[in-house]
Amino acid sequence: MNYLDLANRLSQLGERLTKTSDKLEGEDLGRSAAKLTTQLTRFEEQLENHLASRKSGELLLESLLRSPASKKHLTIALLKLGLREICAKRLKSDDLPGAKREFIELIHGSGKQDQGVRFLKEAFAKAAHVESGGKDKALLQREFIHLGQLLEEEFTIEIGSRTLTELRRLATMNGVRFSDKTDRQRLVVLIRRYAQRAAFNVGTARVPSRN
Amino acid sequence: MSSKVLAFINFKGGVGKTATVVNIGATLAKLHDKKVLIVDLDPQSNSSLWLMRPDRWHEHVAKGRRSTFQIFDDALQGKARFIFEEALVKGVVTWTGFTDLAKLHLLPAAVELLRVEDRIHELRPAVIYQILDSALGMHFKQYDYVLLDCPPNLYSTTKSAIFSADSCVVPYVPDYLSLSGFQVLAEQIAEMREKFAPHLPGRRKPNISALIVSHYRQTGNVFRLAVNELELSMAVLREKGLLSDQAALLQPYIRHCVRVSESTSEHLPVILYAPGSIGAQDFADLTQHFVDLFERKK
Repeated sequence: MNYLDLANRLSQLGERLTKTSDKLEGEDLGRSAAKLTTQLTRFEEQLENHLASRKSGELLLESLLRSPASKKHLTIALLKLGLREICAKRLKSDDLPGAKREFIELIHGSGKQDQGVRFLKEAFAKAAHVESGGKDKALLQREFIHLGQLLEEEFTIEIGSRTLTELRRLATMNGVRFSDKTDRQRLVVLIRRYAQRAAFNVGTARVPSRN
Repeated sequence: MSSKVLAFINFKGGVGKTATVVNIGATLAKLHDKKVLIVDLDPQSNSSLWLMRPDRWHEHVAKGRRSTFQIFDDALQGKARFIFEEALVKGVVTWTGFTDLAKLHLLPAAVELLRVEDRIHELRPAVIYQILDSALGMHFKQYDYVLLDCPPNLYSTTKSAIFSADSCVVPYVPDYLSLSGFQVLAEQIAEMREKFAPHLPGRRKPNISALIVSHYRQTGNVFRLAVNELELSMAVLREKGLLSDQAALLQPYIRHCVRVSESTSEHLPVILYAPGSIGAQDFADLTQHFVDLFERKK
């Protein structure tokens, strides 16, 4: 059953009732009709609310406030900032569920649902943003591959000129894990191993694998 | 409406292609108010079975009629029995029995698609490339996003999808087998670009726009190293001219999440089934970056 099926069913029922209305009578049928009327009234109200909130943008606003992004990124501070920016109002609630309700009410009251949606989308996008590492990362990745291409003697000379801080940065940017206790010697071994692996795996190695 | 037609491809199986298509599609519809069409082109029909209950899917695609199979069968038989509106499934059915996600539409697949490859070579390559575009191109305009869920191969159905797409999205699992597959895939797409060029006057030629990492685990450095090797490989492919400078490795990486697996049995995208799960959160953030990339906000 979908909403179109329901619409067809109601239409058919309507036609049948229209054709037979002058023949319908009795207490059981009347009681059932009264129940259906109550249910229909409730459904009509919900339908109206749904369509109105969809049109005004309130539905999308509510969806955003209930979304997975909201669970991860939404804070009371963010809602306070939003209300201040959108309709220059102050949020009174101290708890997040209450603040969400208040946010919806105040935004709805000022008729600025679209701005509310835009604010939340931008805030979630900003919160989800991940720094790419930029040129620095690209340089260190290039260096890593270069180190993986070197012969043992070349590597020893090249790596010998680096400070421990530089080696740590190189390792971090290339996904090589180490701890604060990892000494220079161990770090060099790790970098050599994974840089060589990377050179083979991306097809840029110039020395044969020993494995 | 300016639609974005994206082919989700990887000829390696099990990389999260369907999960990515279904959950990005659902998130675009639910949280970004976009009108989305998912076109299932895989004979395994996984997108279709994720979003439809099996009984409903069986009934809908009986004999392959109201499915993407019909498009290819029509091309082979020289007939026009595929009717877009009849094949279309609108929204997903929730436990209430009524639909949710009214803006998410699906063109389901049927297992009969398995038969297509046996016979499709009766047609000229240029005709094969254009099958999907000819049958669906005019309908794509109704949508903000069209996501083509391709089978895990680079045979005719996939080539036809790549031809009709503006660009390709590659779902990826961080391991070496995926990496080697990706390098071959980039070469193959570059080759297709040359082959398609005469048939695509004035249109954007197929390229890889985005890579999406799934099944990610943060324990140890296994996955970090593997993702780093993917980034290094992308740089090498760019230098060789096999990958465009704009190709992006989208973040966040989709972490392994049992609720996502579970949502397949409920025939719902994870954003509806378990909106609080890490899977739903990762897809919400990923879809934000997806929109940023394809709508060039940044």
